[in-house]
Amino acid sequence: MALVTAAPYLALLSEHDPSLKSHALTSLNGVAHQLWAEIANNLVDLEELSEDDAFANHNLAALVISKVYYNLGDFESAVKYALRSGPEFDVEEKSQYVETIVSHCIDLYIVESSKAYILQNAAEPDKRLLAVFEHMVHKCLKAGDVKLALGIALESYRLDIVGSILSSELAKDEEVGSLLITYVLLSAKQVLPNASFRTEVLQALFAQLEAQENPDFFTIFRILVQLNDAQLAARVFRTLVHEGKSLVAYQGAFDLVNSASQELLVNVTETLSKDEKFDSTDPVAKRLLHILSGVPTCDLNITFLHNNKSIDVSILNTSKSLLDGRNSIFHSAITFSNAYMHMGTTDDSFFRKNLEWLNKACNWSKFSATAALGVIHKGNLSQGLSILKPYLPETTGSPYTKGGSLFALGLIFAGHGRSTLDYLKKFVLEHGNAAGSMDSDVMLHGACLGCGVAGMGCNSESLYEALKVVLYSDSAVSGQAAGLAMGLVMLGSGNAEAINDMFTYAQETQHEHIIRGLAVGIALLNFGREDEAMGIIDKLLDQEHPILRYGGVFTLSLAYAGTGNNEAIKKLLHFAVSDPSDDVRRASVLGLGFLLIRDHTAAPQIVELLSQSHNPHVRYGTAMALGIACGGRALPAALEVLEPLTKDSVDFVRQGALQASAMILIQQNETVYPKVKDFHKLYLDTIKNKHEDALAKFGATLAQGIIDAGGRNVTINLENPTTNTLNVKAVVGLAIFAQSWFWYPFAHFLSLSFTPTAIIGVNSDLKVPKFDLNVQSKPEYFQYPPKVEEAKEKQPDKITKAVLSTTIRAKARAKKQQAKKSKDEKEDAMEVDAPKADENKSKTSTGKDEASSKPEEKDEKSNAPKVTSFEPNTIRYLKVPYKISNFSRVLPNQANFVSFSKDERFVPIRKFRGAGGIIVLADTKPGEPVEIIKTVRQMNITEAPLPEPFTLSGEDLVDDIE
Amino acid sequence: MSSAKDVEMLDASAPAEANTTAPDQESSPEQPQITVALELELNFASLHKAAANFDNRYITKVFRDLGSLRRKIVTDPTPLASAIVKTYGLEGAVSLRLLQFLPTESVDAAKASNGQSADNTDASLPEINAYLHLLVQLYLLDTNALSQLRDLSTMIVALLKSYNRRSLDFILAKLWFYVARSAELHEELIALRPELLSALRTATLRHDDQTTASLITLILRNYLKSHDISQAANLCEKIVFPANAGAALSARYFYYMSFINAVQLDYSTAHECAIAAVRKAPQTKWAHGFVQEATKLKIIIELLMGDIPELKVFKAANGNFEPYFQVCKAVRLGDIKLFEEVLKKYEETFVKDNLFTLVSRLRQNVIRTGIRTISLSYSKISLKDICIKLHLESEEATEYIVSKAIRDGVIEATVNHEQGYMKSKELLDVYSTKLPQEDFDLRIRFCLSLHTDSVKAMRYPSDDSKNANSDANTESFDDKMGLLQALEDGDLEDFMD
Repeated sequence: MALVTAAPYLALLSEHDPSLKSHALTSLNGVAHQLWAEIANNLVDLEELSEDDAFANHNLAALVISKVYYNLGDFESAVKYALRSGPEFDVEEKSQYVETIVSHCIDLYIVESSKAYILQNAAEPDKRLLAVFEHMVHKCLKAGDVKLALGIALESYRLDIVGSILSSELAKDEEVGSLLITYVLLSAKQVLPNASFRTEVLQALFAQLEAQENPDFFTIFRILVQLNDAQLAARVFRTLVHEGKSLVAYQGAFDLVNSASQELLVNVTETLSKDEKFDSTDPVAKRLLHILSGVPTCDLNITFLHNNKSIDVSILNTSKSLLDGRNSIFHSAITFSNAYMHMGTTDDSFFRKNLEWLNKACNWSKFSATAALGVIHKGNLSQGLSILKPYLPETTGSPYTKGGSLFALGLIFAGHGRSTLDYLKKFVLEHGNAAGSMDSDVMLHGACLGCGVAGMGCNSESLYEALKVVLYSDSAVSGQAAGLAMGLVMLGSGNAEAINDMFTYAQETQHEHIIRGLAVGIALLNFGREDEAMGIIDKLLDQEHPILRYGGVFTLSLAYAGTGNNEAIKKLLHFAVSDPSDDVRRASVLGLGFLLIRDHTAAPQIVELLSQSHNPHVRYGTAMALGIACGGRALPAALEVLEPLTKDSVDFVRQGALQASAMILIQQNETVYPKVKDFHKLYLDTIKNKHEDALAKFGATLAQGIIDAGGRNVTINLENPTTNTLNVKAVVGLAIFAQSWFWYPFAHFLSLSFTPTAIIGVNSDLKVPKFDLNVQSKPEYFQYPPKVEEAKEKQPDKITKAVLSTTIRAKARAKKQQAKKSKDEKEDAMEVDAPKADENKSKTSTGKDEASSKPEEKDEKSNAPKVTSFEPNTIRYLKVPYKISNFSRVLPNQANFVSFSKDERFVPIRKFRGAGGIIVLADTKPGEPVEIIKTVRQMNITEAPLPEPFTLSGEDLVDDIE
Repeated sequence: MSSAKDVEMLDASAPAEANTTAPDQESSPEQPQITVALELELNFASLHKAAANFDNRYITKVFRDLGSLRRKIVTDPTPLASAIVKTYGLEGAVSLRLLQFLPTESVDAAKASNGQSADNTDASLPEINAYLHLLVQLYLLDTNALSQLRDLSTMIVALLKSYNRRSLDFILAKLWFYVARSAELHEELIALRPELLSALRTATLRHDDQTTASLITLILRNYLKSHDISQAANLCEKIVFPANAGAALSARYFYYMSFINAVQLDYSTAHECAIAAVRKAPQTKWAHGFVQEATKLKIIIELLMGDIPELKVFKAANGNFEPYFQVCKAVRLGDIKLFEEVLKKYEETFVKDNLFTLVSRLRQNVIRTGIRTISLSYSKISLKDICIKLHLESEEATEYIVSKAIRDGVIEATVNHEQGYMKSKELLDVYSTKLPQEDFDLRIRFCLSLHTDSVKAMRYPSDDSKNANSDANTESFDDKMGLLQALEDGDLEDFMD
């Protein structure tokens, strides 16, 4: 029987006898949740009691008050009094009241401790709060919710707790412990807002891992990439070499080359070669240094692109014949399209076959055309210089060719500029003071850009100073490039002095080009700095000059790239709708794309309304933002927003939408994504249409290049799958590509964003053995799009039919093959493969099996009625795999279906988790002969042996120059 | 009071039943006989949609038809039984628990017709689970199986606590309503109170506005039933009624608030609440009972405030307003004798309407009105004359009453104590004061807020460009129209009980 009124007890409270009061309080405590409304009238009396230390039961009074406040919905006061009630508040109690109070306690603790951490001198959080917090952490641990405990410990800046939990878990079970470390690593990257605390966490993790007996070195490498600490990296490599784990060291080095900054790589190499304990004549050590130089990575990549290229030149030829080469915008468009399509394939036959067309180029289109050579030969480190020899400044030729060739040189060595930087720097130093005359200006423009690309993120002071000389000569053409290059060189360093230099000069100079170059340079300098960049961002955003605000918006989006930071998004949205300058508005919408790289699925929703803006610049920004955030991901929602924009009334919006759609649809084929056919057709129609505006045609041509980029073997991948870090090079490439709005030659920077999609297995000699991998799906999901047949080209309305028939034929062929294969395999493979699939459980099979069975039904439904839906078809999992050889094209969505077969001779040194790239293999039968796939470098050396390009000696060299 | 409430409910539902069956029959030839089973299926589909899309509008749609469905189930519970069997399977624990409440013959029929075709896919969906419980609950309530209803209620309370899903909000609110109703019928008001209060806390913590609103009204009703007016007043002082609760629930809330405030002597607030209650009440025949109750309360409060309701209030309203009309007449005339007569004659009605206490308070007002008419007609009158005119006990008592009336601002006058007369002050021209201006301002503000509210309540169709090329367009359009219709109709079910 519930009590109806609390009045008698409340009356007792005003008695003098403490025992009466205590009795009243005890009774009230029992009914507080029912009669709180009545008790609330007497809160003042209760508060007096709770503050009266002489009264024995003042804790109980506080508890009653807390309960009343809880019911009143004032949780802050409820927490305050609950804490004050001390022992009376039972944390263990299982009730909604206690749960709510405890959760608020934890929130409060997190807020206070983060304040204490950030402000340093702020007061430590309340001890009682601390007690509740730690109690809950222990409770979590006892209940086995270790991840939960780690999560709140991280959020409340309690590194000590994180450390102790990890070490105790590691002591219990190595495997679980290392899983937890991975979890902390992930959440540190994605959740922690404070950069310096993140570094501390990473260092602690590193120490934790290093102390282990059998550490997971791949996790260590992931941490190293984020810590950017050369000394630590060198130490790890040393230990690995000493312990004889050469393969692990190789894989780690490949990972570093793939995702670390150039500065880290250079420093590691330097530290290692200076180190006396590290014997650099040892073959393993030498090979390690060789990998760190980046040469093998580039070599393998271009070999892949060269061997597998599937370029449809007829597309390019059609566009060329449709667009008038005398018009420089069309000429540039074809140049870029050609450059993208042939990116990294070392195939410059289009230029060679169309010399007459090439000669039509004048001035800056000549510059672009020459620079395109750099894109085509991107990564060809060994031959880069010799290819460009005929165009470099030492020859006689137009200054545009010379400038372009310098830029091209930079592009070839993008991110691996050690061998060429000296040459470029020398040129800049010699001509730096001569800026101003048109000829040397153009060359300096190229040289500066070249320096920037090649020396990206190398943080070299001398290079920076050389570029500054060019900047201070105050010439619009070279100054712009210099400003940009300064940012590239100091990429992500946040160097305060450099920021100050650039900002001051940007305010002084009269040339808008230079201001823009500097503004973007500052943005690059602050790449990924997050809160640390806030000072300069605010300063830039406050400026009256629109170009500086433009830079501020870019700085904001690059500093917070991939974080999805809410504050930053709000700020960008604010500028997107309220800034008076169109440029700033366009840039801020575009910047949203960078912020949402990791949350790309949210991007279409956020920008959808902006895509209906009355301002065409905002609409263009929307299109590009989607292209950036969803690049290479074929997100249907993004294309739904983009489609109306491709029919926009303003030409440059159409341009943006076409480019963006190509960025999103790169490498998709019709089997998986039926809609892609419509977009291919749209690009062609836009180019064919006589009444179409030049800008839209430009966009369509670029789109053709992008969607078939790199011989259809590359994608836009902004996140490194192995390390979970942003692919800095790719993001920077997109950021500067966005500047091509003002200056077309910048369009070449997009080539930085393309990553080859391959699985490349290398053995301990860094050679590529021939062997097969299993793909547990149908081949047609991952085939190349069919080539356009030239003969039918002249009858445009039949094009679709032609495409369709080939698809059908291809399908039929594939089916036949499939049938044959399955027949062949049925006898022997079925028995072997079925258990094999079970064995390969690791990540792929079991998870996918369930996942794919469900969408199957949906698939059948959507296949039948409509072909052109935005939704992609689901890729089905098949028990019976088909084989692909090592060194072949593996699409990102295909990688999940790829597995190494157990009985194969070569096994990956790291557990294969559906991520492509370079994989170091362990050889299970070391003695037997291996069939090797030759790389471009090896082939070239046999054809024309260079006179000793590097001073290695010993056995391994013989291996290398086979 | 409980008897009064029952009458209100029966009042409302009896004509409703008669009326609703007629259109059902009319429409049936067009849509060939929607069977109850089919209807249930459709409702399940809607619930699925609601759960999948997190869109509570589908549930509103389901509830729109609850009234007619409920009456059909009372006549023949077999489809309900077979739906339960279909959902949970023959031997499922939930199935057995629910089926025990339904008549055995229909359960057998259901079992026979469904054989082995039981599939357990739906059992996982809490929405459907809750909905079926609700239907069984309604069946028991309608067949007056009170003891079984009590058993079911305890089951449901346990069930309610186990859920935490936003898509359930509407159903939970409904279930709580009938749980409280069942407790009321068993006169177990106080026992249920802690449950309601803790559920209210849970609902507010989860930001479940619908259930919060429903529970607040239930708790207030619970308090009022047991005459704990001060507790009720305590509670409503300290809670915030969710602003986006349904109109029906708000109307209920305002009605209770009005009553509480009237008892607590805060007439002006009570008046505002009474007006809000009448205005917010759905304008359909099903809500007539409620509107009558609220109007009666409003009349009494107006009288207590010293105003006389307009004649059209009595003429326009349907229902028996005779007693109130008579009271009004007595107050207007300031005739204490007539008032006593009326009070005596209609005492029963007032007690039934639970307004007797408030009506008896009017005695003072009758006298005051008398004084007021006198002060208007005489610029100066001796207290003795007043005493005679109003049939008061003594001249002294008259002096007190007049002084009080002056202090309360009922009349503008002064009392001369030595010579024993009352002198009225000169009347002010209202238009020379700020009063009309303020009133005007008030009205403008009301209109503006009405406009803002309507704008806020509008729903815009989503992007056309996308819909244009989708095949499922027409279906989704029909769907939307249905939902809009449901929204317009509002949740009337509450008023049909």
